[in-house]
Amino acid sequence: MKKRLSYGIICLLIPFAVIGGAILFSGRMYAWITLCIAVLACVPFFIRFEKGRQNTKRLILIAVMTALSVVGRILFMPIPGFKPVTAMVVITAMYFGSEAGFMTGALSAVISNFYFGQGPWTPFQMFSWGFIGLIAGILSELLKRNKIILCVYAVISGVMYSLLMDIWTVLWADGYFNISRYFAAVISSLHFTIIYAVSNLIFLLLFSKPIGNILERMKDKFAL
Amino acid sequence: MKAFSNYHPAVEAVYFISVLLFAMFVQNPVIELSALVGGILFCCVILKSSEAAGNIGFYVPMFFLTAITNPLFSHNGVTPLFFLNGNPVTLEAFVCGIFTAVMVIAVMLWFRCYSEIMTSDKFLYLFGRTMPKLSLVLSMTLRFIPMFKRQMHRVSRAQKTMGLYSSKSFLDRIKSALRVFSAMIAWSIENSMETSASMKARGYGLKGRTNFSMFRFYAEDIILLSVCTVLSGITVSGIFMGKTTFYYYPKITELNLSLYSIFVYTAFCILSFLPFIIEVKERIKWKYYISKI
Repeated sequence: MKKRLSYGIICLLIPFAVIGGAILFSGRMYAWITLCIAVLACVPFFIRFEKGRQNTKRLILIAVMTALSVVGRILFMPIPGFKPVTAMVVITAMYFGSEAGFMTGALSAVISNFYFGQGPWTPFQMFSWGFIGLIAGILSELLKRNKIILCVYAVISGVMYSLLMDIWTVLWADGYFNISRYFAAVISSLHFTIIYAVSNLIFLLLFSKPIGNILERMKDKFAL
Repeated sequence: MKAFSNYHPAVEAVYFISVLLFAMFVQNPVIELSALVGGILFCCVILKSSEAAGNIGFYVPMFFLTAITNPLFSHNGVTPLFFLNGNPVTLEAFVCGIFTAVMVIAVMLWFRCYSEIMTSDKFLYLFGRTMPKLSLVLSMTLRFIPMFKRQMHRVSRAQKTMGLYSSKSFLDRIKSALRVFSAMIAWSIENSMETSASMKARGYGLKGRTNFSMFRFYAEDIILLSVCTVLSGITVSGIFMGKTTFYYYPKITELNLSLYSIFVYTAFCILSFLPFIIEVKERIKWKYYISKI
């Protein structure tokens, strides 16, 4: 009952927030709507996580993986764009399922922005990293078995992350989707896109095996 | 000396959310300018003067960049100033660029103040009751980060002492970071599983746990909350009645200067200056009490 109520609230809340915001903020309607969607898309996952039966070990495991990806982001601070966050999220999802992947991705965004600065981009990072984890969790068997698919996924997730963030940049600056500015943004962030893709590729190729082994061993050892 | 951070976290959250929403999404030069000025004043009173100057100075080039690039991308508007490569550079796009820059910088400064005031413990306090599991994960992560950083430092120092990775080349730096990182992973999972066992032994997840809360709702909090609600309500009513409607394209609309819209602008202005007023009031009080002694 409680579960149904909360889903009902969300189903009502999303259109209400979008329509109300569109009336209220007509000038920047599209930026508002995308922000709402990014926030609200994450909410059902958080609720499911909260309502589901979780043992302490799994909770702590998510905390550890999140902390590792945040520390990784801090460790690689001198090299802009070259971050192991996506790789950690994908690896977590591969070995512990979609939900753990989503939570690690979304929480890494919130928590690392305590260090790197919160902003209106935080919900978009949560959304992007969360869904990269979610999809990796769905594809986990495939990603574990086939190295080529893993590489393709690494590159795609890097490119998608960059493209998604550029959409926000344009909507925020212009208030509507200005296609020429979008292309300019995509081109000016091209080197970042490449660095994201390459760093995901490097980290996943280097890490997926050794970390995977560690995680498999931990799964046996602590019955996760 | 941060009087504003002594308020209840819920009140602060409501305040920041309302100011940020208006500043981000209402397209009106008066609202955007007062959000910017409010943000600058807030930064000046709560940050160290050098840090505040650095923060604000950082945004000056960004301001010019946004203001200049907008006419290059957007050719809307009916008042061409001159032509560049056959494309009109319009007055409207130029003005729109300036106020977009004002908005972007105002929001950045407000977020800077937000992270100064809403520290992670307040964040956890706010979400701890509604989402106990999520906030447990959040707080454990926040505790792991400094621990892992320290451990990572130890691992990398040990490796350096062994003579590894002493050169400054790019490849070497990446290699060392990778190696340290993978050493960290095994250590941290092993370590955290002990934490989990210990938590289980102490009865985490059993019924009858109480919450630790260190924030109480005082009269000042109620006052600030109601002031904030009233001012936001006035602003929302103005937006709904179209008093703040403002378009840059195709032609810049004239600013609505009716009595009610001035009232709305004043309300938002006070809303965005509230923390500054609170801080200054507190400082005057402090000075006054000292001089009496």
